[in-house]
Amino acid sequence: MCEITKERVFEAISTVIDPEVGFNLVEMGLIYDAIVEESCNVKVIMTLSTRGCPLHQMIKMWVQEAVEKIDNAGIVEVDVVWEPAWNISMADDNVKEALAGGMPS
Amino acid sequence: MFAISRDFAPPLDLIAPFFKIGALLYLFSMIALIGFNSSFAYQEMAVAGWVHLFLLGFVMVIIFGAMAQLIPVVLEVGHAVVDLYYVILPLLGIGTLIMVAGFWIEPALLSYGGLLVLSSMIIFALEAFATLKKAEINTLTVKTIAVSNTYLLLGILTGFAIALGLNGTISINVDTMLKAHVYAVLGGFVLLTIMGLSLTLIPMFSLAHGFDETPIKRGFNLVAIGVGIVFIGALVSLDILQWLGYLITIIGAGFYLYQIYIIYKLTVRKEMDIWAKAMFFGFGSLILSIVLGVIYLLGASDSWLHTSAWFFILGFIGFLINGHLYKIVPFLVWFERFAPLVGKEKVPMLHEMYPKEQANMMFWFSSIGTTLGGLGLLLENDFLFKSGASLLMIGGVFLYLSMSKMLSYGK
Repeated sequence: MCEITKERVFEAISTVIDPEVGFNLVEMGLIYDAIVEESCNVKVIMTLSTRGCPLHQMIKMWVQEAVEKIDNAGIVEVDVVWEPAWNISMADDNVKEALAGGMPS
Repeated sequence: MFAISRDFAPPLDLIAPFFKIGALLYLFSMIALIGFNSSFAYQEMAVAGWVHLFLLGFVMVIIFGAMAQLIPVVLEVGHAVVDLYYVILPLLGIGTLIMVAGFWIEPALLSYGGLLVLSSMIIFALEAFATLKKAEINTLTVKTIAVSNTYLLLGILTGFAIALGLNGTISINVDTMLKAHVYAVLGGFVLLTIMGLSLTLIPMFSLAHGFDETPIKRGFNLVAIGVGIVFIGALVSLDILQWLGYLITIIGAGFYLYQIYIIYKLTVRKEMDIWAKAMFFGFGSLILSIVLGVIYLLGASDSWLHTSAWFFILGFIGFLINGHLYKIVPFLVWFERFAPLVGKEKVPMLHEMYPKEQANMMFWFSSIGTTLGGLGLLLENDFLFKSGASLLMIGGVFLYLSMSKMLSYGK
């Protein structure tokens, strides 16, 4: 039985920061789901704030590396999806407030 | 599903010189402005020299540098032959300087400079078409690149014909060809490129989502058709066609502005950074330019046309480009120098990588300078015009300094 929880995966991904806005991917609401199999293989389902994001490939790699650092993590797969499309309502309140308040993050 | 591989991104040492030289030639063109008076005829060789210094030396150099980076992002494929960009910059830079010398000093130089510029642009356009052929997607931005590059080829061919006509190699009606040339380059290439790229870049930087793209599609089609009609009308010297083309282009620009308004209403990121300020000034200038242009078409004096062109070139094009430089250049530097360090050590955020005070100085000197200079042109007042040009020159110094600082960040 694998002891890695979905929360642990989200916690690991929260170390990945979007360099443009300065918030981590979890508080931005970009991580839709994390499926942990019994073998401890992990599948992360996420999106990006912009479809044409030039960092697409790198962000995917950072997420994969962050999850691979969890003890006993097996094969990590990251799927970037565009449905549902991301919007600001998916972000945490602190992100919404900081962006709407015009403060550099 | 798509992925932008790190392999698609051209190296910083290929792109950085475009931005540094573009900023330097912007400064040169602002210095040169001081030598002009508020009253002139746009067909004067001295004016044509300045326009080419600004549009080729600054606008085209920066657009080509930005396209080296953005074409793979937009098309989601790598360049067909990215190394050609190493050839494009020297050809374009040296060709521009020889052309400007041709306008200002010795007309015989025009065709030599023109040939170098022509070569650089043909290489750019063919490389872009070859890359387009590899792309599997067909968004509006992709369509924009295809159409705007076609106009670029038409614009440079007419421009080269003018250069040959001016030094007496061939016999053509320079005035007729000049209209076709200006419209193909400014409306067909520069405006359509800005329209296409802004649909990708502005929502990306403002975090606006879920907006209707119908207005920009209509705007794009109308501007593309309008420019074509003016181009043909100018070549066959048919006024009615040119008027129809002007009207269609203005309506198209109106749709574009409406699209920008829709995106602005959905903007999540309210921070008034240098980019946002520059966008406000740039789009405000475009609106002003359209209003002044319409007043001119209704029968006002040439000074209204000059002021309209001033706000279009310096206010709209200048600020849209300069504003985006403070987003694009830090990203390029970060991608090259800091992306490999993510997860290993603390890396800077993008907004920490541009000098805010210098950027603000650039904005205030340039915006006040543009406004004063425009007022000087409208009122044909040399003191106001030269005051504006002087402030623009100081703004140009701050642009160059901040560009150098951004490019050397983390070196």
